Amino acid sequence: MLGLNCKQVVARSSALIDGELPFWEALQLRLHMAVCKGCTAFVHQMRVTRSLTLAAGQATPDDDAALAAVLARLASEGRDAG
Amino acid sequence: MPGIGSDREQVRALIAGDRAAFAQLFRQHNAAMVRVATGITGSRAVAEEVTQDAWVAVLKHIAGFEERSSLAGWIFTILVNRARSRARVEGRSVSFDAGGEDNSLAAAFDGRGHWKDTPALWEEITPDRIVAGRRMLDVVTAAIEALPPGQRAVMVLRGQQGLEAEEVCAILGINEGNMRVMLHRARLAVRAAIDRLER
Ligand SMILES: [Zn+2]
Repeated sequence: MLGLNCKQVVARSSALIDGELPFWEALQLRLHMAVCKGCTAFVHQMRVTRSLTLAAGQATPDDDAALAAVLARLASEGRDAG
Repeated sequence: MPGIGSDREQVRALIAGDRAAFAQLFRQHNAAMVRVATGITGSRAVAEEVTQDAWVAVLKHIAGFEERSSLAGWIFTILVNRARSRARVEGRSVSFDAGGEDNSLAAAFDGRGHWKDTPALWEEITPDRIVAGRRMLDVVTAAIEALPPGQRAVMVLRGQQGLEAEEVCAILGINEGNMRVMLHRARLAVRAAIDRLER
């Protein structure tokens, strides 16, 4: 499978950035990317996407009202009542 | 991601009725729980109810938590089970399949599988801008919320909450190959949303 095309690189891009590709396959992707600006840009985009996904998950909204609701329910139901 | 050791401390604090410990755990997972449950139930309001029920169940049964999974894995198992049964009651069938072939980038390649148009470099996306404006993160969140339930759950559990791959598979009842396919497709969709913003 020497000489991956761009479509094949894209299909493996998540596995590459997650470090889940076998050594030789990762090497083939890197060899392709060394001569392909498009795939280099795409893999970079996938890394940015991964970071932004994580950041979006950490941008926690204000949960105080929801927290108060759970605590109120627990108080009214009695913690050990089952 | 917190390891088992800090799980144990958190559990001990929860059993002791430590409110600050609960508030911390709540802030860590509540938004993600609502996001996953909304995908399964199809309704934000129902998802908020289901999530509240799940929290009550978590606190009631915390003494029975056995470290067979992480605390987060256990919480999301309770949540997903409740969301699925609620969806079932409402006659909504939810499958976490990866689905058929993904064609989101089909038009991007020529017949030999090479790029027709080279992807943009996204030079405008820098850490400063991400912190400065919430717009980018809102776009990402909106794109995740538009995903099918399985992809959305994988993206939140694996990509945001940092759960281990095996745990995500156990919670959703899928195999690891399927999970990777769903994570990849979810990322492609989010990437496309960011790319539209950049152009
Ligand atoms: Zn290429």
